[in-house]
Amino acid sequence: MSSITSQHGAGRSRLAAGALVLIQAFGMSQFASAQEAPGQAAAPVSAPPAAAAQATPNIANPGIRWEKSFPPVTAGKWTGHRLPDGQPDIQGDWSNSIGNHDNFTDPQGGTPGDPVRRKRPLGTRAERAPSRVSDPADGQVPFQDWARAKQQEFATGFWNATKQEYIEPLARCAPAGIPKSFMWHGYEIRQFPGYVVFLFNSGTRIVHLDGKAHLPDNIKLWNGDSRGHWEGNTLVVEVTNNNAKARFARTGEFASENVRVEERYIFDNAGKRFNYVATFTDPTVYTRPWTATIPMRRYVAGDAQDGWHYEVPLANHKGKELVADHVERPCVENNGPFGQVVGAAQ
Amino acid sequence: MKSLRTSLLLWTALLAGTAVAADRIPHFDGKPDFSGIWQTTSAADFDLQPHSTRKDAPPGVGIVAGNVIPYLPTALEQKKKNFAARAQEDPRLKCWTLGTPRGIYYPEPFQIFQRGEDLTVVFEFGHSVRTIHTNGTEHPTEKGEFWLGDSRGHWEGDTLVVDVTDFEDETWLDRAGDFHSTDMHVIERWKFLDANTIDYQATIEDPQVFSRPWDIEVFLYRHREKDFQLIENYCFTLDYDKYYPVPAAQ
Repeated sequence: MSSITSQHGAGRSRLAAGALVLIQAFGMSQFASAQEAPGQAAAPVSAPPAAAAQATPNIANPGIRWEKSFPPVTAGKWTGHRLPDGQPDIQGDWSNSIGNHDNFTDPQGGTPGDPVRRKRPLGTRAERAPSRVSDPADGQVPFQDWARAKQQEFATGFWNATKQEYIEPLARCAPAGIPKSFMWHGYEIRQFPGYVVFLFNSGTRIVHLDGKAHLPDNIKLWNGDSRGHWEGNTLVVEVTNNNAKARFARTGEFASENVRVEERYIFDNAGKRFNYVATFTDPTVYTRPWTATIPMRRYVAGDAQDGWHYEVPLANHKGKELVADHVERPCVENNGPFGQVVGAAQ
Repeated sequence: MKSLRTSLLLWTALLAGTAVAADRIPHFDGKPDFSGIWQTTSAADFDLQPHSTRKDAPPGVGIVAGNVIPYLPTALEQKKKNFAARAQEDPRLKCWTLGTPRGIYYPEPFQIFQRGEDLTVVFEFGHSVRTIHTNGTEHPTEKGEFWLGDSRGHWEGDTLVVDVTDFEDETWLDRAGDFHSTDMHVIERWKFLDANTIDYQATIEDPQVFSRPWDIEVFLYRHREKDFQLIENYCFTLDYDKYYPVPAAQ
């Protein structure tokens, strides 16, 4: 288990079965701590002692990493650098700027029922980042009644996992899915002629830009099937074939297998930010289509590694320039979930 | 006369050009471009060494130069134990990342995405990702342990030479229980045989397990079917998929 330290210290180490539970708990405890305001003690959350001891996040300057509001990015022309195939060049490391997947509609509000006592009140809702649900205006997913009840059941069950299904699949190493992947650690975007590829901390997405048809309906996938194209500064991706097993957050929001997601990744021309704006259409679960907005910022070689947003070490080479070194992010079969089932497992 | 000669020359050039075009390997940025979806047709993953048919494997001539993997005596005993327990112990059965070089000759497609600074190799099996760095960087100074190793490549003419180190020891080399330690060192040589075939060679050394370095060679074929694509295969989720039924109205 000593290898865990180097995994998060240098971003490279073995990641064997059984070890991931520590890493996930560790990652979360860092996050939970970093999410607190400066000057506040790190919350131990439920990380095992060895991992908790390593969780010394840099909260001196949370800055943009935990911003409470964010600017819109206007869809329009792309005036930045282009790749030889004509795509806007948006390659590199990115992470969201408001919070992790603890709570979908109150990104800095923590997961309801979290047994860890916070030393400081969260304050009023207005003092925290807005809901990721940007439409409707009330910031809530427009669930049908049965679906709202199901979501509430998941949310309540998360900290009292009396059923296997209350354990988030991500804790078992499943891909985080859409849109949770964008709230789970930093990630990398690589571009190639005909493709945009997302390398997440848990899972990988290949977006096809060649205009071919979606996979047949009976193929269901954790990350769905993604077809995209560029409109100026905006990458537009339509996602279908979702297996509906991932949850959007620890608060249990979900879609069904019928969901169609239209993602718009709107990049600023300075190349420092983009907003992820995704419209979810699923008549079996929602009363109307709704839109999620997740703000992102870029990280570059030499930025401080914070163990969550940016875990990319510098490459070993003879030159003087800083080169980011992307190492493998494996996730193997793992049955040591973060949320242990209490009582008799079903 | 002059025009006839010119015409002949033109025709000769044209024919030669056509012949060359048929064999021409794709290039990107002045280097061979391995972008595409590739897969072996060999039985290498069943057993790297020559073997006759078994209940759980088709026969194969093997892909090991000289036919025999040169195990050290104690390592050979371990290999035999692995072989006997292969129906339970093969890491592939748990859908663990296959490792290097096994992912290359495993009978499921993988896709190469190529840039000047690296090649991104996405394996359908487990949807794992291997980066082969071609940006002049070296192995990390601090030894790491990776499922797929740490890959640093460079070009020697039209051959991509990749040095792979920093392995963990939980992957096997095939279904027959061939294995390695964390000291494994793999040197790969990737080159086009023609535009749709890669000749993949690798030298494997591991002083804890083998008495000398040994070589493998396998051909990889390009998938050219219309609309062929990788389909994410996160097979390690299959054992717990049942806990996540699609939410539905009662």
